Amino acid sequence: MSALQTREVRRAASKPKPAAPARRPRPLRGNLWVGLLALPAIAFFVVFAYLPMVGLIVAFKEFNVADGVFGSPWNGLDNFRYFFSSGEAGRILLNTLLLNTLFLAATLAAGITLALMLNEIRGRFFKRVAQSTIFFPYFVSPIVISIILQVLLAGVGGSGGAVNDALAGFGLPTVDWYTQPGPWPWILTVVKVWQMGGYLSVIFLAAITSIPEEVYEAGAIDGASRAQMAWRITIPLLRPTAAVLLVLGVGRIFYGDFGTIYAIVGDNGTLFPTTDVIDTYVFRSLRQLGDFGTTAAVGLFQSVVGFILVTAAVLIQRKYAKESSVL
Amino acid sequence: MKTVKKRKLEPFTIVSIIGVGFFMVLCVIPFWMIISGSFTSESKLATTGYSLIPQPFSTTAYEMIFTGPTVAEAYFASIFITVVGTALSLAATSGIAWVIARRLPGISRPIAIFAYLPMLFSGGLVPLYLLVTQYLHLQNSYFAVILPLLVAPFLVFIQVSAFRQLPEAILESARIDGAGEWRIFFRIVLPLSKPILAVVGLFYAVHYWNEWFTALLFITDVHKYPLPLLLQNLIQNVSFSQMLPTSAGQSPPVYQLRLALTAVTIGPILLAYPFAQRYFVKGITLGATKG
Repeated sequence: MSALQTREVRRAASKPKPAAPARRPRPLRGNLWVGLLALPAIAFFVVFAYLPMVGLIVAFKEFNVADGVFGSPWNGLDNFRYFFSSGEAGRILLNTLLLNTLFLAATLAAGITLALMLNEIRGRFFKRVAQSTIFFPYFVSPIVISIILQVLLAGVGGSGGAVNDALAGFGLPTVDWYTQPGPWPWILTVVKVWQMGGYLSVIFLAAITSIPEEVYEAGAIDGASRAQMAWRITIPLLRPTAAVLLVLGVGRIFYGDFGTIYAIVGDNGTLFPTTDVIDTYVFRSLRQLGDFGTTAAVGLFQSVVGFILVTAAVLIQRKYAKESSVL
Repeated sequence: MKTVKKRKLEPFTIVSIIGVGFFMVLCVIPFWMIISGSFTSESKLATTGYSLIPQPFSTTAYEMIFTGPTVAEAYFASIFITVVGTALSLAATSGIAWVIARRLPGISRPIAIFAYLPMLFSGGLVPLYLLVTQYLHLQNSYFAVILPLLVAPFLVFIQVSAFRQLPEAILESARIDGAGEWRIFFRIVLPLSKPILAVVGLFYAVHYWNEWFTALLFITDVHKYPLPLLLQNLIQNVSFSQMLPTSAGQSPPVYQLRLALTAVTIGPILLAYPFAQRYFVKGITLGATKG
């Protein structure tokens, strides 16, 4: 103990040196001792993040359970060839890009709009209740969302559902939603907005709160209306935050939202033409066909393209917004 | 804005109140429909499909849920996964976050890269599936759901920025008083970080409570299904309802059951939400602005 104490005193005494005050030299042994605290998490990452990366060699193998990951025979690029010649690849990739683009654009727009609107509300209590309410769907399991959709679109007993009742009320023809693939990209987009709108509005509202008050006072003196202030002051100042979220979203554009889409669509084949994305495809072929090789090949393809996109996105974002870099 | 005290109600403000109100209604109605429907008798549900007022009022589904063992087992599974998972996740996350936050030369940076890299590149589903089923043999264990989700890099990130905001003076004075690194972490850092631990813990808890994807992959024993998976099964195949106790000859109220089970699944979140909500807002804000 006293040794440590004197060491501390000596260090305090040698402080006047201006070089890097935050990085005081410490004995490596002490550092390793602290480093032990990271051990459980490191073990987790090794087993559940890095070992599966090694396991990706299955993509180049004709996998069979008896021989295992390392014993199964290699088959070169056959798995990739099989997927890309299956005729489904184009549709799945297109769906993934299209749906994620829709989700990204719609949720960001909804988040900004909600934040701007929340910012206008002055009653503190109402504002808090409003924020809590619209944030809530974020915490609901995709399965629950799927049940809600069934109630709305098909009715609990298959009797038409709330949306069809409303359509009939306006004298419009009703739709058998679960057999029509056409509207589903839009339905899923609405679901995404409902699910993520409140979450994103919290982020944007935090950004709005950090805008200095004087900017608005200046605007008020110049006679700007609230709408003009929102359009000409708030939105331009939200651009960096939006850019970060946009770039991150673009980076992840190759990863479908597996949970929500699978929970809603499930194994309903009639909806696949517009809703099947890489993740749902991978999951299905793994569970139903047990085709490990091809599935791993698709996964590897997704990871590599995803990695390129994320890296590009982070680099671009670093270049344009140095002060708010992610990672 | 705070400083502007009196101002007349402008069109944009009115539009905003209406817009927010509309979105609030959209967020409330579906849940109200679920809860109301779960108290509506099966025969009514089969004809009108849903209702905003439970008419005729019926608690049949809840009686079935709470008398049979299936839902109790699912509740136990979900609670086990959530409680044990959150505790383990918090321990692992705060440990690695503190090591990263300390900025130890030659240690912190490599560990940070090591922890954040999986956000950029993942092995995907197949290797994970093979790992858990062929090598770790965790099928039908609750830990098959917990372990793959143990540490979320994003929450490590939040925790690191919170740790870095701790006043250096307190840590320094503890060091001068002769406290070791571990003692500083457990006696000073963790107690001072209770608010952020609550934030991160709640994020993990919600995640574990809602998790069904890993459960779907690795849990095939019906008696070990967590709630969301049980619910998913109830949507996918109606035959599951045969497992619930019914009086002889009577068909079980499938639709009402679905809604009641949904209500039971979101119930705990709904109850905890008013108290936990501000922590979530805080956590996201911290992650978004970065300390």
